[in-house]
Parts: sequence; structure tokens; C-alpha cells
Amino acid sequence: MRVVLAEDLYLLREGLVRLLEAHDCTVVAAVETGPDLLDALLAHRPDVAVVDVRLPPTNTDEGLQAALTARRQVPGLPVLVLSQHVEQLYARELLADGTGGIGYLLKDRVFNADQFVDAVRRVAGGGTAMDPEVIAKLMQQPVRNVPLARLTPREREVLELMAEGRSNAAIGQRLFLSESAVGKHTASIFGKLDLAPSDDDNRRVLAVLAYLNGGA
Amino acid sequence: MFRSYALAPLRCVALALLAVFGFAASLPLMAAIGAVVTYPHVLQVVRRLAGLSRWLARAWSGIVIDPPYREGPVPVPPRRPDGWYEHDGQLFKTRHYPAFFLRMQWLSDDPATARDWMWLVLLAPIGGLVALLAPALIGAGVLLAASVTGPGRRVLADAGLTDLVAWLTVPGWAVLATGVAAIVTGVLAGPALLRAHGRWARTWLGHPGLTWWQSSGIGDWLRRGGHDTWKAALLLGLSLTGFAVFLLTLLLTLVSGGFGIAWVAYAIRPMLNHYRRLCVTWGGGEPMPDPYRQREGVPEPGPDGRYRVGRTLYATRDGARRAGFFPWILGDPATWRDLAWMATAPLVALLAVVPGVLIGAGYFGLFWQALFWPLWAVPFGLITGVWISPWYVWQLFTLGLPAADVVPGWVSIPIGLAMGLLGVLLAGPVLRLITGWARLLLAPSRSARLTQRVEHLAQTRAEAVDAQSAELRRIERDLHDGAQARLVAVGLSLGTVEQLMDRDPAAARVLLAQARETSAAALAELRDLVRGIHPPVLAERGLADAVRALALDAALPVEVHAELAGQPPAPVATAAYFAVAEALTNAARHAQAGRVGVDIRHTGGLLRVTVTDDGRGGAVPSDGGGLHGLRRRLATFDGTLALHSPQGGPTVLTLEIPCALSSPRTSTS
Repeated sequence: MRVVLAEDLYLLREGLVRLLEAHDCTVVAAVETGPDLLDALLAHRPDVAVVDVRLPPTNTDEGLQAALTARRQVPGLPVLVLSQHVEQLYARELLADGTGGIGYLLKDRVFNADQFVDAVRRVAGGGTAMDPEVIAKLMQQPVRNVPLARLTPREREVLELMAEGRSNAAIGQRLFLSESAVGKHTASIFGKLDLAPSDDDNRRVLAVLAYLNGGA
Repeated sequence: MFRSYALAPLRCVALALLAVFGFAASLPLMAAIGAVVTYPHVLQVVRRLAGLSRWLARAWSGIVIDPPYREGPVPVPPRRPDGWYEHDGQLFKTRHYPAFFLRMQWLSDDPATARDWMWLVLLAPIGGLVALLAPALIGAGVLLAASVTGPGRRVLADAGLTDLVAWLTVPGWAVLATGVAAIVTGVLAGPALLRAHGRWARTWLGHPGLTWWQSSGIGDWLRRGGHDTWKAALLLGLSLTGFAVFLLTLLLTLVSGGFGIAWVAYAIRPMLNHYRRLCVTWGGGEPMPDPYRQREGVPEPGPDGRYRVGRTLYATRDGARRAGFFPWILGDPATWRDLAWMATAPLVALLAVVPGVLIGAGYFGLFWQALFWPLWAVPFGLITGVWISPWYVWQLFTLGLPAADVVPGWVSIPIGLAMGLLGVLLAGPVLRLITGWARLLLAPSRSARLTQRVEHLAQTRAEAVDAQSAELRRIERDLHDGAQARLVAVGLSLGTVEQLMDRDPAAARVLLAQARETSAAALAELRDLVRGIHPPVLAERGLADAVRALALDAALPVEVHAELAGQPPAPVATAAYFAVAEALTNAARHAQAGRVGVDIRHTGGLLRVTVTDDGRGGAVPSDGGGLHGLRRRLATFDGTLALHSPQGGPTVLTLEIPCALSSPRTSTS
């Protein structure tokens, strides 16, 4: 798997390179500024980009902007965004095009190398990986969205894990359900959120998007 | 049918008499408004008269006029938690006075009130004149018919109407026919004229529709001129009071040798402050804050236990305080500027008489004379045989200046119109001249403004320093007890792991997992801390998006509307951000709101953020509460925080901070 990495802190960048290469990934470029990132993404067309939100030269959301620009030029380019903090606002912007291949995680998640690499793989495969903290914030809010209010508590749990980007098997494992039971729940969720049957992966992204927009 | 025709002329006469009565009553009524206490009663009388007109229109011409008055309850003054009633920044023990002021304002803000007055003074006379057509026709017809008969001629001649008798040279039958025709026309026209009068009344006393008159703005212009006139007149009155006080001060100075000035100048300050407020409200322009020096506290006693004020030593604190009064007042340049204004103001304010007299005289010539000339000059002429020209005082002119006789009487109408318009035209400039003169002398001088500014800055700086050090202490404590301690624990665990690695790999693994969890917890704490100091989204995206992110995380639906062409300076943005955060928390926690709207805009060098919720209201910024802290924080930037939260809601929190916007994205590294 070919990875482009963007991180301005030298130590963290080297650590991530080592971590990814230990898990059979090839880091084709490791850059530290927004413009470099955009150039690298367009030149290498990697399988996945791992991007820090805050990059030089402005030290604002340069990384996020570069990733979004690249995705506009290369639709569906998988991007995993890392940040010291997670914001629903950014999660929405990333998911807005509905094509999947998006991850948004706290930097702390690299502590658990296996889970982190798993997330990188899911994103590279066109799936989503939302940080549990974003999901947790949504769960704290009273239900404002009518379609979401129609879900049963169990379905909400399933959707929550689906929003984190987990597969049906992983969800079944977490909730102690059979995979077919999870399948039934997801089908029922898609039905209640008015998502027509089509490409299954994208429906998962759309469901997550509906979930995030439920907060609006 | 027959009855209505028969009664119509009499009703027309009654309407005309009512119009005359209303007009005549308007002068004493207007005078009574001056005595503020009677104001609501006067309005009550005016409304009664207008109501009588409405009732007559319905009873006599079947035209229904709905009263246009503002509906709903008269506003009542809110009671504060401390039991006082507030009105316009003043506290009252009972609700009586604030309720009176609110009622007065409520009545005078009602547009129907102005229309009632207009009707009473200007329009009823015009309508009355129309109504008089029918009785006039009938009267003229009767006179003509009577003049044909022998006895009738004799009666006319006896009554002194010899002119009319002599004029009747046309054949008798023609005169008779004309007379009868006039009577018939008058009788037949009676009900129609009543209806016309009713419609005329409905136009002015009913619910106002937007007529060409209103849309053209002429009415507004006239009203503004009228308002400026009485405002200028009121300022003249206050100036005269000031002048009287000035004379009193002179007298006291002669008697007491100077001390009187201090007492009088001090006593008159509230009135002058009121005058300043009026000048700003009416004349526009920058606000004129009170320019006086703050009174300094009594100094601490010296080593000998006595208090020093200037070059005198006082034995008691009270004595020192009393002695400090005169230097405080007499040393304040504002006192002398006040006196200068009191001495000169009437000279300038006398100009207020000009538009007032012009409008009054113009109105007199335009309406009063022309309309009521038939009512007084015709009987006067009939009785005495002297036919007075009604137009102003031409008669007097012609006595002294026979050449003026050639000027026709009707010129008073264009002259009256011109004078009235000139008055309206002059009203605004005169008002501005009066307030401008007041501004010259009563506004704080440059040095007074600087002194106040320094005082304000010293105070807000002290508060800012306090808040800053408290914030630093909090951050230090949080780091010390939280992240720092956790990182020490991580280091300890790693050290132990180093030793255990070979001996007991299982235990080492457990410790490593713990260390990872602890470092994650430390990171989470640091994250919260950073969010409390300067939220990352604010740093990355600026105020508008930071507030949007805040809205997404809020516990209730928040609509954010932002119109910012750039970014405010970082400290200002941070203060505004935390203010919105506080407001959202309050809305969710205390106000039981269902929705919140946040509006952010930058106009006229002010960043204005408005947070509106549909909660139950009744919020009070308590000392030491979150809002109080925000207010102090904003004061550092010369910002203000206004909270409007009546019982029952909605709550509106407005904060304004003067600042300039920078270009949209700049480096913050």
C-alpha cells in the first residue's frame, strides 16, 4: 500500500513512517507543509494519504484544505486526517462529497498501532473511520433529526459503530451479535434513513453522513 | 327617509360646531400637555372628541370607523429582584412613576395619537366647512325667498340688510326660483354631505392606509418639522431655566462671596445632564457623557492624625470631606463651562421662536382666518355694516397705509403657506444650532475626555491583570495536577517496564498498556485545557467557523449567521467566542430554550454578536456570575455586553466590541 504522509513534527513523522512501514505500507512521500502535500498527492496518487490538519506555512487548517483540494481533483482519493482535536465541523466537510475513503482520527489513536493501521486500511479501501470522540459528541445530543429518531436503541448502537467505520463482522463482535443480525440491522437502518439500495459501501458513508447531519 | 333629509342640515351645523369646538379646545389642551402630569388625561379628552366624531359618523351617515388605537396591555414596569422598579436607568420604590412614564410613552408612540391631534386641529375645520354647505345653501335660499315678499323685505331692511334689499333688482320670480332651488339643493344635498363628511373622518380617524401623502414623505417632513419646532421650544424653556439659575448664582456670589457658585453648580448638574441627553437624542451626534470630574476620596490622615486638603489641615474626616467639596467643584473646568452655557444659551435658544412663530402665523393665515371668516366677519359685517377684510390685519395696514388697500385679501393664503413652509424648513437647522451650541460648551472637553479615558483604562487594566493572573493560576494548577502528574506516572511505568522486560514480560505488558492509557488521558486533559485557553478551531478557522463548531456541539439547535469580511484581532475573537459559549450554555441550562440564533456581523467599526433564544427569559447578570465575568473581559476592549431578558423571554444577548477586521487569512504562526 502506497502512503503519502503529511506531518510537521519531525519526531511524529518519523514515528508514523516507522509504524506504517512495519505494517507493510510504503511511504512514498513524507512532507511537512500544505503546498508540498498537495504536490505529493497529485504526483504520486497514493492509495491513502495520512494528513495532519494543522500544517505550515499558516499553521491553521492547511493540511485539511490541501486534502480537500486534492480530493476535488482526484475524486475518491482516500484521506485519513489526524488531529490533536476532533471537530464535527471538519468531519462534515470531509464527508460532504459522500464518496467515502475518509478517516478523521485523534492523533492519540496511533498509540494503538493495530487499530490505527486497521483504520488506514479501511480508508484505503474506500470505507470511513470516524473517531469515537466525534461519535460520542453526537450521542450526547438530544435527538433533533427526525429519521434518526425512528431508529431503535440497538440500531443506533449499530449505526454508531458503523459511523466509526467498522465492518459488519467487527460490529457483531463488539455487540455480541451474529453477522447476519448486524446485516439485518444495517438493512433496517438504510431503510429508515431512506437510502436506496445501491453500492453497499457508499450507503454506509451516506448513513454516517445522515448521522452527522442529524446534529444540525 | 323624509326625517333624514329634514335633519341633515341641522346635523351639518352640529358637525361644524363640533369642529369649531374641537379646534378651540385644542389650544388649551396643548397648553395642558406642557404640565406633564396631565398628559394622559389630555390624551383621554382628545380621544373622547375623536370618538365622538366616529360615533356621529356612524349614527348620522352610517359610516363605521374602527378606532385605530394600539391594542394590547399597557406595558408595566418590571420589578427587579431587589424589589425596586426601573425606568430609564432610574430606580423607583413604587411602580407608580415608572408605570406613568411607560403609559405616557405608550400613548404618545401610538401613531393614532398624532392623527387624532391632526384631526382636531387641522382637518375637522376643513370637514366642517364642507358640512356647512347644506345649511348655507338653505339659509341663502330662505333669505332670497324672503326678499321677494313685502314683509320679508321689511324685516331684512330692519335687520340692516339694506344692501341685500337694494341688490335685488332682478325680477322677483327669478329671485324666488333661485331661492327655492337653493333650499331644495341644500335639503337634497344634506345626507350626501353628511356621508362625505363621514368618509373624510374615516380617512383620518380610522386605521391608516398608506396614502400618496404618506408615501410621498411630505407628511413625514411636515411632522419632523413640527417636532423639531416643539423640541427647540422645549430646549428654549430649559435654557431660560438655566439662565434664571445663572442669575441666582450671580446673586448668591454677591451675597456669599463665591461659595454659592459651587452649591448651585452642583445642584444643577442633574438638569444639565438631562439637557445633554435631550440634545443628543434630538440633535444627533456623538453621545455627550457627563463631563464632571470624579470626586476624590478623603486622603489618609497624616502622622499628626489630621487630614490635609490643599494647604489646610482638618481635625476630622468629615471636615476634610466638606472642605474638599469646593476645590472639587470650583476646580473642575466643566463647572465654568456649565456657567458659560447658562449665561449664553437663551441667546441662541431664542431662535426657537422663529420657526414656532412662522408656523403658527402661517397656519393662522392659511386656515383659521380663511375658514372662520364666515363665522365671525359676516355676522360682524351684517350687524355693523363694516366689512372687515379678514386676511391677517390688512385692515390695520390700510388705516396707516392706504396704499395697502389694493392688496387683495386672499393673498393671506399663499403668504400663510409660505410662512408655514419656511417655518418647517427652518425648524431642523434651528434645533441643530441650539444643540450645537450646547455641544460646544457642555460636551466634555478634550482634557476631561482624556481624564475619563485614563480612569477607565486604569480600571479595566487592573481588572484584566487580575483576570489574567487568575487564568494563569488555573492553567498552572491544571497542568500541575493533571497532565504533568500523569506524564510522571508514564515515566515511572516505563522505568519499571525496563526492569521487568526480561524477568516478567507479562507484567511488563500490563504496565505498558497502563502507561499508554495514562498518556492518552494526559493528552485528553491537555486538549481540554487548550480548548479553554484558545479553541483550536478558532485558531485554524477564525470566529465564524469556531462559533459554527460550537453550535454543532451545543445541546440544542443553534442557527449561526455570520457576515464577516475578515477576522477580528485574536483577543477580540477569543472574547467573543467565549461569550457565545457562555450564552449557549445559559440558554441550554437555565432558559429552557428550544432554539438559539447567533448573529455575527461587523458594521461601522463594531463587531456585534447577538445571541437570541426562545427560552423563558428573566436572566439577571449576577455579581461573580458568568455574564459578569464576560462583561469585565469585554470592558478591556471597550466592548459592551447588553442583556435583554424580560420574564417569559425571549432573551437577547448583544455584545459589541470596537475593532477592525484583518484580511481573511493571515499567518498566526
